[in-house]
Amino acid sequence: MKRTSTPPRWAQKIFKSFCNDHLCEAVLGDMLELYERRRKSMPQWKADALFISNVLQFIQPFAIRGKSSPSINTFGMYKNYFTIGWRTFLKSKVYSLINIAGLAVGLSACLLIGLYVKHELSYDRFHEKASRIYRVNTDIKFGDNHMDLALTNPLFGETAKNEIPAVEQTTRLHRYGSFLVKKGNENIREGDVAWADSTLFDVFTLPMIWGDPKTALTEPNTIVITESVARKYFDRTDVVGETLTVDNTQSRKITGVIKDLPSNMHFQFTSFVPLIETNDALEVTWTGNQNWNTYLLLKEGAKEDEVVPLLNSMLGRHLEPQLKSIIGKTLNEFHGDGNFFKASLIALSDIHLKSNRIGELYGSGNIQYVYTFFTIAVCILFIAMINFMNLATARSANRAREVGMRKVMGSRKSALIGQFITESILTCAAAMSFAVGITVIVFPFFNELTGKALDATMLLTPQIVSGLIILTLVVGILSGSYPAFYLSAFQPVSVLKGTHISGGKRSVFRNVLVVFQFSASVFLIAGTLIVFRQLQYIQQRDVGFNREQLLIISNIDKLGDRKEALKTSLLQLHGIEKATVTGFLPVNYYRNNNSFFTSPSLELKDAISMQKWVIDQDYLETMGMNLLEGRNFSEGIAADTASLIINETAAKFLGVRDILEKKLYVVEDEDTKALKEFRVIGIVKDFNFSSLRERVKPLAFTFGSDDALMTVRVEGSSIAQTVSTIEGTWQSMASDLPFEYSFMDDDFDQLYKGEMQSGKLMTYFASLSIFISSLGLFGLATFMAEKRTKEIGIRKVLGASVPGITALLSKDFVKLVLLAATITLPAAWCLMDKWLQDFAYHISLEWWIFAVAGVTGLIIALVTVGFQAIKAAVQNPVNSLRSE
Amino acid sequence: MKGTYLGEFEELVLLSVGILFDDAYGFAIVDELEKQTGRNVMISAVHKALVRLEEKGYLKSRMGGSTETRGGRNKRLYQLTHAGRKVLAESRELRNDMWKQVPRIVWEGGK
Repeated sequence: MKRTSTPPRWAQKIFKSFCNDHLCEAVLGDMLELYERRRKSMPQWKADALFISNVLQFIQPFAIRGKSSPSINTFGMYKNYFTIGWRTFLKSKVYSLINIAGLAVGLSACLLIGLYVKHELSYDRFHEKASRIYRVNTDIKFGDNHMDLALTNPLFGETAKNEIPAVEQTTRLHRYGSFLVKKGNENIREGDVAWADSTLFDVFTLPMIWGDPKTALTEPNTIVITESVARKYFDRTDVVGETLTVDNTQSRKITGVIKDLPSNMHFQFTSFVPLIETNDALEVTWTGNQNWNTYLLLKEGAKEDEVVPLLNSMLGRHLEPQLKSIIGKTLNEFHGDGNFFKASLIALSDIHLKSNRIGELYGSGNIQYVYTFFTIAVCILFIAMINFMNLATARSANRAREVGMRKVMGSRKSALIGQFITESILTCAAAMSFAVGITVIVFPFFNELTGKALDATMLLTPQIVSGLIILTLVVGILSGSYPAFYLSAFQPVSVLKGTHISGGKRSVFRNVLVVFQFSASVFLIAGTLIVFRQLQYIQQRDVGFNREQLLIISNIDKLGDRKEALKTSLLQLHGIEKATVTGFLPVNYYRNNNSFFTSPSLELKDAISMQKWVIDQDYLETMGMNLLEGRNFSEGIAADTASLIINETAAKFLGVRDILEKKLYVVEDEDTKALKEFRVIGIVKDFNFSSLRERVKPLAFTFGSDDALMTVRVEGSSIAQTVSTIEGTWQSMASDLPFEYSFMDDDFDQLYKGEMQSGKLMTYFASLSIFISSLGLFGLATFMAEKRTKEIGIRKVLGASVPGITALLSKDFVKLVLLAATITLPAAWCLMDKWLQDFAYHISLEWWIFAVAGVTGLIIALVTVGFQAIKAAVQNPVNSLRSE
Repeated sequence: MKGTYLGEFEELVLLSVGILFDDAYGFAIVDELEKQTGRNVMISAVHKALVRLEEKGYLKSRMGGSTETRGGRNKRLYQLTHAGRKVLAESRELRNDMWKQVPRIVWEGGK
């Protein structure tokens, strides 16, 4: 039998698409009835055509769905969503607070790290010509010495500008050190002074408020200062033409006032003096005097990799004659011996994070830390998000009935998804505003921790604000999507009949999230433990000298001939045993390297590059350094001015059995090739004088006088009192100069500040992430215990013990944590091993560290879960069972 | 008064609803009108009138009474309201009144 045909579906669809709800059903029915009848008396095509024409006839205002159709009052529905959302919040305050607090703390940690990372990455990007500015690095291999310098000789930049068309401008910088500036009767130390070429302002964007940048640094005895320095001495900024009295004697005319340097610049000088003043800068040498930070500004469109070969061939051309005259070799022969002398460029914006060479102007950041912190931030964000998702899905069972009811009442799936996503986004927005609040409050502490001067107003940049909004939406949608899609797919019938099983398959997904979360936590625990131990190791390692109770007094060089008198009178004070006068201390980074040759013929392959420190006879004793062989310098022996004490590394390098009495030669004057002969008289035990990431380098002491600083060993426990007695002596002898001092161990810590800060930061953030994960676990455990109240009640009635039930409830979570630890620890081992390899002196990885990390994770999980489990287990079964 | 005016077609639709009593829905009304007047009635016109009459308060409607021939779809069943009955009565009275006022001579062929 032929089935009665139906009119074209598409026509019905069109009708449904425009017709309003009031008529749609009834009219469609009518039209179908009409169609049925027509089919009896006419062919299908005719009936179809008439049907279509009927549909079209209804395209009239009375039948079309209006925009503001009175039958769908969306406002009421949204109001209902809010009401229900608020009630759910109130009904389960603990979960909701855990949810919001966890997310807020996590987001705020991310925000802080984000700002930190952003600041680190923003270094030197603000210069107008930033993309065209490069610094010249020099790599020298000479004998067995390899030096990576951030420096060049004095001629490099100017020659490059003259000989290579792609180089538009060049400028040099050199650290001046510090000087004293007179204000009234007082002398104030300015610590960040640099020698700079007059082209400084052509290359870098350092806006000059007063004065002419073209001429500012062209005359000797002038100075360019920053706004804040100007304010400090004159209380105003328009001070061009005024004079500063420097070091009591010199007067410098102020020729320019520039804006304060932004904190994201790789040097932080506050005063610039003209580089033309220094004679060193005029020296015509290519092989030596590598002391100048040289920057090149390339022309528009010039490519770095095209310029570098040009620079090297230029370098080779000029190097060759000098090399010949000093060591008697051509450049090719020099290279043939496996040596090299080459220049390379580093982009300005890479200097802060990617360059850690000898002669960096300021301690640099480390791209590794940026990556590490970024990873931690992502981990924390994930952990917080997982908490949110876990709690939301766990609670989904409670809301399954709501979903069922809504569906029965006619809610569409899309409306339900919208409801849950909106709820999640709103919760997330609430968490986000808390996060911003927390961030603002925590900012000062964070700054103290990182040593950065970040400002809470950084949060108000359009980038960050839009970032926050996007983050809120993404986190909201991501963490809301699982409950939204999962819940809205419930079959109302099964939910309302009660056959919907809470738990079940869903918990697989939740378990995966918990495992992931705990993997991150265990990883962070292990990482933090290792970093912490490594840092402790560095601090407690025998560095070869005794850095405790050493007081370093500055401004000694300004004392002139009063220096000896001061030393004598200080030594008479109670509590002061030893004092030495020299600027060469094992706490500041860089000094010149000198080549020492083992024979007067200047054989390159036996040359050794050593730092040369000028010390007096009290130095070794004051520092607590030990002589392994030989003797100390002595004022009584005239020949000691040509004596050397070398360190163990240098001795090993020279490799001769009887190193004492061995003669070493240094080129004193490159033009005349005059040699100075030194005799080794002692070997000092190795001590650290630069980053502990590196091995101790060869070093030589010579006997002489260098008067930058005086170091005093203070005895006894009343150090504060001793310091004030010293100050009294200072005042009586040199009241015109400020008494400035520091302690060696503080300075030493300063040397490792970067590592320490990062270590501390890591510890804090790791604890935070652990806290957030246990918060989530706590919520989950509470929920599980609640879900199983009846089961627990029945078990107790049947005779289960409290420990038995506690174990039952904890078991599942413990399994997850163990799984997480198994997955994570090998990965942590590999990564941390790699990190440690960066240090020349490092701890070895031991299994127990990882065991501790795993067990810590387990204990944290046990404590949070166990607390809830016991609470559930000790309940009287009557309470949970009587109401049914 | 605006809104109380009843058009001719509307009056016919109201009457059809009355005739069909408990099965007055779009298609049946179309049928009824075609049967009574012999005119070709458009289904959209009928529904348009029904919507307007309901808005004016002369009709009320409910859903119900689906059959196999309508693809299982419900009908919108219409029913006269009190106001609807009253407006029909008024209309009829008006006509009667006016009938009476027409002189008999008109009817008798006006010789």
